[in-house]
Amino acid sequence: MASSKEEWGRYQEALRRGDKEAAADAFRRYLEAKKAEGKGSSKPTLVNLSSKAKDYPNAVPLESIPKIMQEKPEFFDLMRRIVTKEK
Amino acid sequence: MPTVLAMADFDLPTRSASGFMLRYIAPRVEPVQLLGMLVRRLPFRLAAPQSDIIIGTGHGDVDTFTGQNEAILLEVGNYDPIEVKGKVIKLLSCQTGVELGPDLVKNGCAAFMGYTDDYVWVMDSDLASTPWADKEFAGKCLMPVVDGLNALLDGKSAGEALNIELESYSRNAKMEEDELVKACIEFNRENAILIGDGGASIRARPSLALPFKLIPPPPLLMPV
Repeated sequence: MASSKEEWGRYQEALRRGDKEAAADAFRRYLEAKKAEGKGSSKPTLVNLSSKAKDYPNAVPLESIPKIMQEKPEFFDLMRRIVTKEK
Repeated sequence: MPTVLAMADFDLPTRSASGFMLRYIAPRVEPVQLLGMLVRRLPFRLAAPQSDIIIGTGHGDVDTFTGQNEAILLEVGNYDPIEVKGKVIKLLSCQTGVELGPDLVKNGCAAFMGYTDDYVWVMDSDLASTPWADKEFAGKCLMPVVDGLNALLDGKSAGEALNIELESYSRNAKMEEDELVKACIEFNRENAILIGDGGASIRARPSLALPFKLIPPPPLLMPV
């Protein structure tokens, strides 16, 4: 199994390419790798303070990130901006 | 002069952000502190003109800053300039640095600090009733905000306070091992901005009294 660092690199690449499916798969593998490394035992949730005018939720449990990325284009774009730092 | 500290707390992100304000900032400042259901337009409109600093945590957009249940507190073109004139304003919210911040400064706000994109962080939702205890996740992004605010309350200028916040993000990012948490820290650091007079400052407040350094607030029991 690849390390969480390697899976994160794959996730970054998929976001840069704009490939939703590959990004969702890579993020799932990233979480699995983290779990295997003994990290992430609590209930981490990605949150934001944007208004409800946006099409994505304000709180997304990490395990739901792949699904929401595939369903909500604005959330995919937010993740792309966060992870790649590209505007 | 009182401080206006507006802390919405109706969902996970507002609960987490306001929890850190409640723990580290509220004990340092005199009322008016607006928490929960009080974070609405009328109490804000009454309190704001009397203060020298406005600190707010809540959801936002390019042109609005909101309170409890997203009740609008400030909206471009829809507030009295006396509410913001001569004040230092810090909004922990999404994207208010794009249009709202410049509009506040145009209407007399001395210095505005906010963010040009979404403010994002990872929190432990198991700690929703004691959000200030979330040092592993939320603290990595929210403590830099607290550091910057404490600098302001110590009498430092808005420019110095922003630099302290940015340095705090950089320190945390450098030490962070979790890739997603690190990406969030760096994202918030890149989007933090100051508009207006970087030399603006407020009256210094007393530092956090000893009991508050040691004893956290009671758990927040309202459901989110």
